[in-house]
Amino acid sequence: MTTTMRDAVLAEWIKLRSISSNAWLLLASVAVAVAASGLTTSIDKCQAGCTADPAKLSLIGVQLGQALVAIVAVLTVSGEYSSGMIRFTLTAMPRRSVMMTAKSAVIAGVVAIVSAVTVGASVLVGQLFLPGNGFTARNGAATLSVTSGPMLRAAGGSVLYLALIALLSVGLATALRESALAITAALGLLYLFPIIGHVLLNPVWQNRIDRIAPMNAGLAIQSTRDLATLPIGPWAGLGVLAAWTAGALLIGWVLLLRRDA
Amino acid sequence: MRSAPIARYASAEELGKDGFAQLLRAEWTKFTTVRGWVITAIAVAVVTVVAVVDIALVSQNHNTRPALATGPDNESVTDAFYFVHQPLNGDGSITVRVTSLGNVPQAALADRPSLAGADADIQPWAKAGIIVKESVTPGSPYTSVIATASHGVQMQYNFTHSVAGSPGSVSAASPQWLRLSRSGDTLTGYESADGSSWTQVGTVTLAGLPSTVQAGLFVASPMAQLARGTDSVTLIPTQAKATFDNLGLHGQWSGSAWAGTDIGQAEQVALDGDVAPVPHDGVTRSGGTFTVAGSGDVAPYVPFVDPTQVSFYGSLVPLLMVIALGTLFMTVEYRRGMIRWTLTASPRRGRVLTAKAIVIGGVSFVTGLIGSAIAFPITESKLQSEGWNAPFYHMVPLTSAVGLRVVVGTAALLAVVAVLAIAVGALLRRSAGTITTVIGLVIFPLVLALTLPHGPASWLLKVTPAAAFGLQQALPHYSQAPTACLPYNGCYPLSPWAGFLVLCAWAAVALGVAMLVLRSRDA
Repeated sequence: MTTTMRDAVLAEWIKLRSISSNAWLLLASVAVAVAASGLTTSIDKCQAGCTADPAKLSLIGVQLGQALVAIVAVLTVSGEYSSGMIRFTLTAMPRRSVMMTAKSAVIAGVVAIVSAVTVGASVLVGQLFLPGNGFTARNGAATLSVTSGPMLRAAGGSVLYLALIALLSVGLATALRESALAITAALGLLYLFPIIGHVLLNPVWQNRIDRIAPMNAGLAIQSTRDLATLPIGPWAGLGVLAAWTAGALLIGWVLLLRRDA
Repeated sequence: MRSAPIARYASAEELGKDGFAQLLRAEWTKFTTVRGWVITAIAVAVVTVVAVVDIALVSQNHNTRPALATGPDNESVTDAFYFVHQPLNGDGSITVRVTSLGNVPQAALADRPSLAGADADIQPWAKAGIIVKESVTPGSPYTSVIATASHGVQMQYNFTHSVAGSPGSVSAASPQWLRLSRSGDTLTGYESADGSSWTQVGTVTLAGLPSTVQAGLFVASPMAQLARGTDSVTLIPTQAKATFDNLGLHGQWSGSAWAGTDIGQAEQVALDGDVAPVPHDGVTRSGGTFTVAGSGDVAPYVPFVDPTQVSFYGSLVPLLMVIALGTLFMTVEYRRGMIRWTLTASPRRGRVLTAKAIVIGGVSFVTGLIGSAIAFPITESKLQSEGWNAPFYHMVPLTSAVGLRVVVGTAALLAVVAVLAIAVGALLRRSAGTITTVIGLVIFPLVLALTLPHGPASWLLKVTPAAAFGLQQALPHYSQAPTACLPYNGCYPLSPWAGFLVLCAWAAVALGVAMLVLRSRDA
């Protein structure tokens, strides 16, 4: 009996949906993200000449929701190592590359679907609050319509962003195997750069971090205004995140092939 | 029939000890036998130095020099106000009634849409009153008794000191009488509501005050601080106008006419590439009534950016390592079933948790202390070469109270967060959930505070464990010279130790709950 990619994907899907904590964590990621977006857009005000980006504000919850997405992704890999399940998985699917590809595809797919809900709800919540809080064309920060090009880019890009974060976490977890290490690494990689980049007093370095760090660069996809003055363009920024993800997956893949499970 | 007595069995082995010292030793042994943990603990010290110093190395000072003077204690001060004065050649006193203190909105701001109305309200520390000053040179020693817009009567001297009198604001219905009397180098301030019954506000000795000083009435109004977004503050000059009457002089006054002088360099502020005009100050006199319009402030200068705190954000990296260490030290017990042996050997469960907290807290404290003690002096000297000199920053010595607070505080922050991780680990028993929870409690608020508007950001940094990062502030804060407090600039809403207490309270509650749960739950 040979395992086809289809079987591998099916197996990974069964594993993912049969652990109830995964569903809860993903549900929590939606709730946390939409709540954060709703809270921010309901309290933030725009006066004449404000420089805020309304699309970015309504998608701000992604910054929180991504943590739970990263954890689900890490646990689907490292959970197998802590429970010993990985030996069964690799016995059933000895072609490790196929196993890893199937796992990555399933996680990325599930995260993309869940993120579409997160992003859609966040955008709608933003539409509800922002115009009333002064985010109007008259104040120089018009709330974009849901179907406008930049808004679709910001929303669709955020879904891609979360899927890439999930894949980055899969790569890290495959390389590190230990949940604690992989979660620390993933959250550290995501959040420490923005904090330090934000407070740095040197604009040159601030700019560098905004172009290189996975979260800073990746979230450029949410920008809809003053694109020329951004440290990095929306698609280029998402590309930087994709490069991080590819790097992490590559390292994880090489280690998976070479190491005993 | 008598049965043969049964000898009680006693093992020949010596009784095992189950004191707290043994428990501590057992936990210490567990820690030292896992090589990864020991390496991580040592790495905490190294990473602290590398991360903190690296941030300092890329932290050039880009601020332009504002109009400042140097005060009597060699500190940077703002000393700008409108002064109606005459010389006092020896002892004497001056009494006056303040009948109004109001804001004068600047017409020049009205045509700037983003700033219109920014100076609509009077500044809380707008002041009008009596001042005795060594000379009209900015920065020279002084003592004043003032009525303020929102902080009642105050007696202030030499910029950094402010003694509160009675609260309340000035109006025509409730005027404020003030008196300042000089005897040698001693000055005494009084206040009164009716001009007949007087209350002493304070007594100040200005050592070396010359015989002839400048004394009289003054008005000042600090710049409005407009926090824009999360990361920038715009300063806007404001002006206040006060009315004085019932001026009474006693003692050795020169008898010359009152002179009006705008003290201090007028501070011009660039607004969106433009320069905000400085309000036009002055005095008008009608009979015994003086109307004085003044702008500026007589206060210590507190810069907005705290480069030491900013550099010490580097300690977030070792903080993550300590969180992982504390979590694993607890959760590994559950994963490997070790907890059953641990609790068999030491059935008093609360003590097990205490021993674990002491070991991992102690390790984190020591390794954090080594790291921050090495990082601090290097950081300070690097900041100096990056342009952080007076007036923006005065290098803080390691052995000063502030230096020690930053260094010991950083170590304590790491230690208490490690204890928090132990407690959460005992509650959740799983490393993934524990690490996420602790990062969520300690580091997430910081991420949010840097993105959210000022109000909710400041609230977050008061109630979450992230309040403890305030321990790393190196700039002094004065209540009489409030600055727009942005975490972006290294400012925290709570005082350093109060912020630390917030973290300690979280850790204590978590540890208490963990002990209860550990006792009541099967391991």
